[in-house]
Amino acid sequence: MPKIMIVEDEPSIRDELTLLLENESYTALAIEDFDRVAEQVDAAKPDLILLDLGLPGRDGFALCADIRKTSSIPIIFVTSRDTAMDELRALSMGGDDYITKPYNIPLLLARIKTVLRRSGVPAESEVSVVGGLTLDLAKGTVSVNGKSAELTRNEIRILAHLMGRPGQIISRADLIEALWDNQIYIDDNTLSVNMTRLRAKLDSLGLPDYIKTRRGMGYQI
Amino acid sequence: MTIKEYFSDKSGSLLLQLVSMAALAAFLIMSGTSAGVVAIIAIVWALGFVIFQTVAYQKLKVHLTELEIIMTGLDQKYLFVECIGKPNSHYERRLYELMRRSGKSMIETVSDAQAAGQEYREYIESWVHEIKAPLTAAELIAQGLDAEARRKLMRELEAVESHVERALFYARAESAEKDFLIRQAELSEIVAEAVEKHRSLLIGSGVQLRIDELDQMVYTDSKWAVFLLGQLLQNAVRYRSESPVITISAKSLGQQTQLVIVDNGIGIPTHELPRIFDRGFTGSNGRVRGGSTGMGLYICRRLAALLSLDLQVGSTEREGTTITMTFPSKVNLSKV
Repeated sequence: MPKIMIVEDEPSIRDELTLLLENESYTALAIEDFDRVAEQVDAAKPDLILLDLGLPGRDGFALCADIRKTSSIPIIFVTSRDTAMDELRALSMGGDDYITKPYNIPLLLARIKTVLRRSGVPAESEVSVVGGLTLDLAKGTVSVNGKSAELTRNEIRILAHLMGRPGQIISRADLIEALWDNQIYIDDNTLSVNMTRLRAKLDSLGLPDYIKTRRGMGYQI
Repeated sequence: MTIKEYFSDKSGSLLLQLVSMAALAAFLIMSGTSAGVVAIIAIVWALGFVIFQTVAYQKLKVHLTELEIIMTGLDQKYLFVECIGKPNSHYERRLYELMRRSGKSMIETVSDAQAAGQEYREYIESWVHEIKAPLTAAELIAQGLDAEARRKLMRELEAVESHVERALFYARAESAEKDFLIRQAELSEIVAEAVEKHRSLLIGSGVQLRIDELDQMVYTDSKWAVFLLGQLLQNAVRYRSESPVITISAKSLGQQTQLVIVDNGIGIPTHELPRIFDRGFTGSNGRVRGGSTGMGLYICRRLAALLSLDLQVGSTEREGTTITMTFPSKVNLSKV
């Protein structure tokens, strides 16, 4: 479970960010003492640091320089300053990415994932197995009892989202949002079409009722 | 200055010369001088007068041309009086002093206005900076709500954010300072970010978004480009039809790259097309649908000009609108 350190002086943002990251199953580590940040980084050894630029005392640029003296832990700058100069400075100081507030939450999570992957922290598993069905994200196939079928990008994402939350009822709106998170800009009608095709493929594998429809609520595996 | 203009200025002295000449001729003839001598005197007098006036006219003309050259070469025209030499004649020197005083007051007024504009812009920048913290907190808090409430709240927060951004970019577009940085950027990332920033609006209005393969690299300031594209997306959503479709694709034109945004919305009446980028222009659509300030496209045009980005709009009523953004090639940019 990747450990993410949050260096942010605004308490409400700090708390909510902690909550958000924990919900995404990261270990969130918020620090409240901004005097010895580099020491705390050394002690905690996080996999990634979210660093605010406007901090009391020393600003994020100076902190980044401090941290860079001893470690190469990936740093994402998070700030409400958004002039071109700030961004350039952040990246030249050794930051790995630069996100401006108010950050779009899916975008923030996607950037965290990318930076973690680049630094070699294992990403979500490529193969998942739920209820006897195996989904291989890398190959884009589903298989059960030796039979397999190829899926389109949209179908993979729909199935992956449902399989990642077995037992939960996922509404159509949630599904659409999850797809948008992966840059699949699907609308309600297209979702219906994709769902029908996905079910037909599962049917051909002998799993006609793998995805259950909960009337008026959504889908469930 | 033409000879005609010069003599019309000197008509008084010309008249005086003629009258005195006539009076002298009459006096000489009456006192018994022969007509031939009178004629010679008159010719010599006239010749002297013409030569004197021609030299004076030439001098004046050369001086005026010099002044005009100084004026053309000046960046801030109101500094003109500070740049010309002091005249010689007493009368001109008085005029010069008066003009200088007027110029000085103008310079003070202009620099006061510039300072005030700059201060206001800085205030807007810091205000936007301040408001982003609570907005971020609110968006994070919204994540904890149940799905329906979260979606509704996110849509509102996204709208607030979009208004805030518009104020910021308006201040930037009107500023003399160039606060952008042109770098190589991936077109697909610019598009993905603009879409992401307006996702609640797009999903909420049931828009079908089709994005083609965008593998081009462009030279631009990506934050500005994301804002610009966002404005265009907002317009496409605001003026949508029953089953809205927005298509975004890209074309490579030699060194340049074009991003084409096509919607199937209600379109823009042909006679309004030339004015849509004007400040405060809302058009018949804006009046009917409401919520239009006439500022979005105006800011877009200003930003596009600063980024040397070309914006073209074509539209057919009830069929849709096509907007073409042409990004500059690296070669062209070196001139900026």
